[in-house]
Amino acid sequence: MVKSIVGTGGFVVVMVLAALIAGTIGGSIERTLVVFFISLIAVLGMGVYSGNSGILSFGHLGFMGLGAYLSGILTMPIAMKQMTLANLPPFLATAHFDLLGATVIAVIFVMVVALVVGIVISKLEGSAATITTLGLLVIVHGIIIGARDFTRGSQSFFGVPRVTDLTVAAICAVLAIIVARFYKDSVFGLKLRASRDDQLAAGAMGVNVRRERLLSWVISAGIVAVAGVLIGHFLGAFSVKKFYFVDTFALLAMLIVGGMATVTGALAGATLITLVTEILRRVEGGIEIFGFQTPQLFGTTQIGIGLIILLAMAKRSDGLFDRLEWDEALLGGWFAKKEKIVGDAPPEHKPVPEGSLQASSITKFFGGLKALDQVSLALANREIVGLIGPNGSGKTTLLNVLSGVLPASEGETLVDSQDVSTMTSHQLAGLGIGRTFQNIRLFSSLSVRQNVAVAALNAWPKVSTIVANEKVDMALEAMGITEFSEVQASTLSYGNQRRVEIARALALEPRFLFLDEPAAGMNREETDSLMDDLKSLCDRFGMGILIVDHDLPLIMRLCERVVVLNEGRVIAEGEPKTVQKDPQVIEAYLGHKGSQQVAEVLSD
Amino acid sequence: MDSDLAVFIQQTVNAISLGGTYALLALGLAIIFSIMGMINFAHGELMTITGYTLMYCGLAGLPFYISAPLAMMVAVVSAVLMERIAFRPVRGGSPASMLVTSFAVAIILQTLFQNLISPRSKAVPLPDVFAHSIHFGELSIGINQILSISLTVVILVTLNWFLRKTILGMAMRAAAEDFSVARLMGVKANAVISGAFAISGALAGAAGVLWVAQRASVDPHMGFVPVLKAFIAAILGGLGSLTGAVAGGFALGFIEIYLAAYLPDHIQPFKEALALGLVILVLLFRPNGLIPAATVGREKV
Repeated sequence: MVKSIVGTGGFVVVMVLAALIAGTIGGSIERTLVVFFISLIAVLGMGVYSGNSGILSFGHLGFMGLGAYLSGILTMPIAMKQMTLANLPPFLATAHFDLLGATVIAVIFVMVVALVVGIVISKLEGSAATITTLGLLVIVHGIIIGARDFTRGSQSFFGVPRVTDLTVAAICAVLAIIVARFYKDSVFGLKLRASRDDQLAAGAMGVNVRRERLLSWVISAGIVAVAGVLIGHFLGAFSVKKFYFVDTFALLAMLIVGGMATVTGALAGATLITLVTEILRRVEGGIEIFGFQTPQLFGTTQIGIGLIILLAMAKRSDGLFDRLEWDEALLGGWFAKKEKIVGDAPPEHKPVPEGSLQASSITKFFGGLKALDQVSLALANREIVGLIGPNGSGKTTLLNVLSGVLPASEGETLVDSQDVSTMTSHQLAGLGIGRTFQNIRLFSSLSVRQNVAVAALNAWPKVSTIVANEKVDMALEAMGITEFSEVQASTLSYGNQRRVEIARALALEPRFLFLDEPAAGMNREETDSLMDDLKSLCDRFGMGILIVDHDLPLIMRLCERVVVLNEGRVIAEGEPKTVQKDPQVIEAYLGHKGSQQVAEVLSD
Repeated sequence: MDSDLAVFIQQTVNAISLGGTYALLALGLAIIFSIMGMINFAHGELMTITGYTLMYCGLAGLPFYISAPLAMMVAVVSAVLMERIAFRPVRGGSPASMLVTSFAVAIILQTLFQNLISPRSKAVPLPDVFAHSIHFGELSIGINQILSISLTVVILVTLNWFLRKTILGMAMRAAAEDFSVARLMGVKANAVISGAFAISGALAGAAGVLWVAQRASVDPHMGFVPVLKAFIAAILGGLGSLTGAVAGGFALGFIEIYLAAYLPDHIQPFKEALALGLVILVLLFRPNGLIPAATVGREKV
């Protein structure tokens, strides 16, 4: 919170200064600055969606166009409308609003449109979503041209009062910065950024990725609509071409060159591209250098922006400012330390409610391959069950089905007595099923603390951010990684990354915790200390733990019960000692010949 | 013959011919996407390059049966160069950075065409026979449409053979399924990616030849709109699925032509928006497309 305030405060100061200077100089600088502010608003709006979700959008210029046309119709003097838009329906023909009223109506309208379109787009995967936004731009363009009665088709739309001045543009830009930065640092923004880094893990930690994407899509459309209203009332006359690919290109360049993940990046990108455009526009008309007149070059700006993009993407594909805001880069974790509640005793943790997880006859096909065949498994509170089996026996697939990452082909899963077979991973996470992944899936651009917070914010029942913060502290402390809390997760050692994954799952306050090879890649000491921690977790919180590992001594020592999978079927189940001697298990691990040798040794 | 039926058959032929062009383009996009995860915006400019090559060849008096393969060759070389110069530095980057890079390449090329050739549409000399058509009663089918449909079929069959029977083709299919595993199996990344761009260049070239053969002109933005449509076709079919791309291409061709033929006049201005809206509606119910890629939902966990 403090961080967001200081972060946005810095921008506001810079922008007010710029506006004051330009205001006193006036003329073309003032015009340039107004356009710059409007572009900045559009870029910030696009960034709210693209930056936090990682999905590029081409559709936002369509929203900008809708905002410009609708608000233009609303503010245009009625006499003007009778001349230029004679066929308007009566309620629009007689309507007349000031800029503020028109803006509010246009923004609401655009957000409703975005909500409807967003329901489809949020269902699609990244690249397919991007292409659909492209389709959206073409559709809106087509509708604006087709709806002649409202828009004059592809002809110039004129008569809009020119009421956007430097003050209005600057105020709106400041507001856009505030909304963008606070959204990004909000709970919603954090969840969406987690899904950007790893969609699957975010789902498993209870994030409803579609809903978060839809929310940011609608907010971003609203911000961009404001930019549309302002540009319409700045130009006074415009045509549908203004809201098509040429401007999309320039705005995307601003978004991506500075780094689309941050507000700082948006500001840097908008500044750089505006400056370059201003300079190149003068070259375009031909200039005199040392007495030579350069020829007129059409589209110099386009080529210039294109080259900047190529260079920026090749050298710094995350943009000039990487993924840090200016205050984060300069002031580091200073605020985080200030914000932290100090000196408290470790928070209370209630034991989880009693219950059971019961999977029966789970079957899973991958095409023709039967990865799981009639697998049944039960897990109760306070027990640690080991799931072992040779490579490819279906252990991870079973965890994926139980945690809702993959749907089962047949069979059902009950939590207590509720059928959860058709639930998605984020719903199951809400029910108290936490998991880790075999190949670590942390939210790589987030700090350790934020990684864990994403899960804590989704624990059920829903909690306030203060309680969520306590849960984060608790989980970090339980896994012994409190000292790394402000470090970016991807920079930690392998063993500590595994610990962060477990802490993240713990923050869900899981009743059932699935660990997929938690000790993989750890040395003996690290493994031993992890085992101690897992044992004490089970005692302290009372959750049931299902653990997959290849380290058989570890499983044998830790678990009261072991389930053995081979080729998708359960071939043995029971106490570790009994299972260890089961001839079928030995055969599965060592093959037929090996098992005979072991049998001989045992019988000797 | 009943004249309604004749119109219907006529429109169906148009739909197959337009859909075939979309299918070729979408297939070229899908090959690159399935291997690199990249949406190549500059695909359309390969089409435009083909068009300009045909124009210059025509002006130089070369016969069409020489200039068409030559133009396709130029598209292949351009595609490989494009990858080598612009896309290799961002290979493995985020989908967004690859997409924006290719968008920049597209815009730069369009601007260069405007400055170096002409901002306006230029005529492409074509053999007279293209203007002829064959009549069956009320039905008349253009020679260029017959050629276009035949060429599409030949290319699709050849490509299918190439991907299934040749070493490079199989390596590409393997890379499309799982690039990292394919590399572990000894498939060379650069060879596969260059090969993929060569093929997508050839497909764009073929689409360019077909496009120009029906319109006899070329302009700096010629490839942009058809490739936009091909993007839509590719997600309609299922992004990353090669069969899906072909199916999506034909489906979009049919949607567009039938809407144009049978929509009442007052809705005609909205036909493009309506066609795309229809596609988006399909995606609401089948988010992974008509024929989803094999890799959908099989992410390694």
